[in-house]
Amino acid sequence: MDEEPERAKRWEGGYERTWEVLKEDESGSLRATVEDILFQAKRKRVFESHGQVRLGMMRHLYVVIDSSRTMEDQDLKPNRLTSTLKLMEYFVEEYFDQNPISQVILFFIGKVLIEHHVSNPKKHIAAMKKAVNSMCVGEPSLYNALNIAMQTLKHMPGHTSREILVIFSSLTTCDPANIYDLIKTLKALKIRVSVIGLSAEVRVCTVLTRETGGNYNVILDESHFKELLMYHVKPPPASSSSECSLIRMGFPQHIIASLSDQDAKPSFSMSHLESSDGGPGLTLGGYYCPQCRAKYTELPVECKVCGLTLVSAPHLARSFHHLFPLDAFQEHPLEEHKGDRCAYTIKVFTCPACSSVFCTDCDLFIHDTLHCCPSCIHRQGTS
Amino acid sequence: MKLNIDGLLVYFPYDYIYPEQYSYMLELKRTLDAKGHGVLEMPSGTGKTISLLSLIVAYQRTYPLEVTKLIYCSRTVPEIEKVIEELRKLMEFYTKETGEKNNFLALALSSRKNLCIHPEILHANIVVYSYHYLLDPKIADLVSKELAKKSVVVFDEAHNIDNVCIDSMSVNITRRTLDRCQTNVETLQNTIQRIKETDAAKLREEYRRLVEGLKEANVARETDIYLSNPVLPDEILQEAVPGSIRTAEHFVGFLKRFLEYLKARLRIHHVVQESSPQFLKDIYEKVCIDRKPLRFCAERLRSLLRTLEIADIADFSAVTLISNFATLVSTYSKGFTIIIEPFEDKTPTIVNPVLHFSCMDPSIAIKPVFERFQSVIITSGTLSPLDIYPRILDFRPVTMASFTMTLARTCLCPLIVGRGNDQVAMSSKFETREDFAVIRNYGNLLLEMSAIVPDGIVAFFTSYVYMENIVASWYEQGILENIQRNKLIFIETQDAAETSMALEKYQEACENGRGAILLSVARGKVSEGIDFVHHFGRAVIMFGVPYVYTQSRILKARLEYLRDQFQIRENDFLTFDAMRHAAQCVGRAIRGKTDYGLMIFADKRYARADKRGKLPRWIQEHITDGSLNLTIDETVQLSKHFLRQMAQPFRREDQLGLSLLTLEQLQSEEMLQKISQIAQQV
Repeated sequence: MDEEPERAKRWEGGYERTWEVLKEDESGSLRATVEDILFQAKRKRVFESHGQVRLGMMRHLYVVIDSSRTMEDQDLKPNRLTSTLKLMEYFVEEYFDQNPISQVILFFIGKVLIEHHVSNPKKHIAAMKKAVNSMCVGEPSLYNALNIAMQTLKHMPGHTSREILVIFSSLTTCDPANIYDLIKTLKALKIRVSVIGLSAEVRVCTVLTRETGGNYNVILDESHFKELLMYHVKPPPASSSSECSLIRMGFPQHIIASLSDQDAKPSFSMSHLESSDGGPGLTLGGYYCPQCRAKYTELPVECKVCGLTLVSAPHLARSFHHLFPLDAFQEHPLEEHKGDRCAYTIKVFTCPACSSVFCTDCDLFIHDTLHCCPSCIHRQGTS
Repeated sequence: MKLNIDGLLVYFPYDYIYPEQYSYMLELKRTLDAKGHGVLEMPSGTGKTISLLSLIVAYQRTYPLEVTKLIYCSRTVPEIEKVIEELRKLMEFYTKETGEKNNFLALALSSRKNLCIHPEILHANIVVYSYHYLLDPKIADLVSKELAKKSVVVFDEAHNIDNVCIDSMSVNITRRTLDRCQTNVETLQNTIQRIKETDAAKLREEYRRLVEGLKEANVARETDIYLSNPVLPDEILQEAVPGSIRTAEHFVGFLKRFLEYLKARLRIHHVVQESSPQFLKDIYEKVCIDRKPLRFCAERLRSLLRTLEIADIADFSAVTLISNFATLVSTYSKGFTIIIEPFEDKTPTIVNPVLHFSCMDPSIAIKPVFERFQSVIITSGTLSPLDIYPRILDFRPVTMASFTMTLARTCLCPLIVGRGNDQVAMSSKFETREDFAVIRNYGNLLLEMSAIVPDGIVAFFTSYVYMENIVASWYEQGILENIQRNKLIFIETQDAAETSMALEKYQEACENGRGAILLSVARGKVSEGIDFVHHFGRAVIMFGVPYVYTQSRILKARLEYLRDQFQIRENDFLTFDAMRHAAQCVGRAIRGKTDYGLMIFADKRYARADKRGKLPRWIQEHITDGSLNLTIDETVQLSKHFLRQMAQPFRREDQLGLSLLTLEQLQSEEMLQKISQIAQQV
């Protein structure tokens, strides 16, 4: 019990009316509803296929996290802040996984403003947690947060997307100036602002997102929160007016020097020179910039010396599936497909191309992780 | 779309229709068919106005001989403008659909700047104006007396119609009124003197006319051209003006005597209450004024003013008031009471005598309307309980129905909070209202709500005095300071300019995300006329039950009258009155189907069946056993859940087929079945 904070006891929390969701069927059994709830939860995806639209592949995302007094509210367990940070950790990981050539900046608004340029997600989030934990006081200012984000984003090149995502827990904002003027400026700069509200619908956020073309959602519970966050992992459609430009990119090869090789000399990675947290400074092999031969241990990165964007081919390939998403599978009732290979629950799904049959879990796995139908690929291989 | 309402072709200028609108039109048609009166309750924001207009206009076109005119009465100028806007849409739709130029003439009487005196307006098919044009005898005589019998009269937002009737028949006389009257009489005297010197024939002509009696008016009434005026009783018309006031000088002398008598009556040191006959007896004994000339007073003055060709009637409002009082007091022996108070209750040290001539029977003012017009429709969002209106207005309706709001999502959330977290009962009743624990719990409720409700909260108190006490106490306890961290606080005061300033700033704070709380008073300006759509009112908190101030002598007299004449118990009427105001207050937040809001009744007495049962059906049906007698904590949890649910995206498609219908959907058998359950007949 000691490691738990005093206030987080179960009986001190809110009333949760979990029983209200359950409804008895005609025979008085709950089984159907329980299965239905589980099914819905699995099936609920934010897959609205964009069709053939240009997507902004290079993204600059500014995540603004409210860290005001209301973040200590315990309606998310153990409290809103901890829950949010945990989800952010997951979000940043997913974000870089799916948008390898993009940037994200985490930013906290509360009494103290903390800004983090994230390149290595894991390390930063741990550090941030420590910094933020003690400072949930006061009221936030949406104006100040947007203003700072805007100052940074407006210098980003025109071919990248400029996005702000605000995780807004408070219901009030104490602004130093008229926020509607700022909204106009944001709109003019083509900065998309999306908001995820943690408590209720606030008018100014509705206007803000509507004007700048973003989304506004309010969470119902923690799983809904996660779902809403994941929606922002996918790149948004690029505005038709954004510039097109050729970008120089380097594809450095990973050169591995074995310890037995006498010529190999350990050297510093460029990205480690600036970070103060020490870590293993000297390494043997690494990625060498094709232009200036500076060494990096991790990709993707922007070369500190010559400014070239360094990526690996798989990174680009991973962004590719956003452009050609796998079609949604068709839903069929279970009766038609008894005795196939998967563990079916209520519904089955068939691929529109090869009409193979999958269960709910497989369907999710294929769409969220594989991004291609294994059955189709199998056929291509054999023919 | 074109609808078939019980065999009547109705043009409806929108592509979609709410089920309750269809149901409402059915009931309305039934009322018109029966040529009777109706009482219809339908929540605001469900398109009452357009339903009324579409159906009645269609009826007028189909049966031009049955219904010739629609008289639409609303309360305020903005409401009148709204009606005109809807009407314009309807007319455009008619032109588009039928292809012919419509010959409908509609007329709105809103303010003097829009005034038109072209005689053609008498033939208008639709007239839209304020209640007072029909109910206030002083104005009705000028504006409405030539309206045809075969008209349909609609009173919209009529939940306060009894008070409007009473106000229009009541007279308050202060020393100031008498002073101004004195000046008026002197002016009259001078004018008469002058005319006598220049144009004596004119006065003689008037005298002759008065000898003939008011025959003309009588002929008119018998041939049914005019709406009868309650100030001008039938008997008067058959008689000639009595000799004692027939000449102008005599009449002025008469007025002077009457005035002196009133002045004497105001010089008192204790409260006097008497009936009309008592007053008449007294005036006869003191200054030898008979009942008969008093009854002719209003008519005689009007005649004199006409003869003297005085253009600016407004200057003579004081003397008109006095003469109306004279006529009323001598005409009605029942239904009125006279109360003379030497000072106001609040300031017992300052001498400010007032003579209240108070009407206790709203049916007197509205009687001519019910008698004259073939159909009178009384409608509003809050008319519950429906059966009380016919009783206090003394008429027999052919239809009484209450409609609910069909909703695709439950967008209103009425909660009855009865206890604080410390389990101390919350109530504004007299014995506990000064209780420290009650005030603190009210404060905690507002504080907790301010933390979870976005944008605007409107809180209503039962009276200004109570609000002042509570706010002062909250300030001492530091509750206000805590609330201000969440939202800004604005307060309604009795000063109209101050209040509209507060309102403006309140809306600004809601708009830009800071959030605000408006503290106001039930029965005040805010509770009646101002709508808090969407973010301007996400929650309404009603602190206490808004009973009327029961120590007032006028109210006591009225209650006694209601008990004796209509067999309505005092308590029933008081509860009815309190609940209709509470319903009005909380109804401010929901102004349509896409809107949503919390309705918090913070008094444990609301949980009792006699209170709860008097709320409109569309609110009542959402009060479950789980929303009664809650603690503050439970309220917060339920509210949080509700607000999150409501914040989820809500599109028009979600409403279609449930609470919004296309023509095809409307015609399905199943839907018609459902619609028949919306209206609840009483």
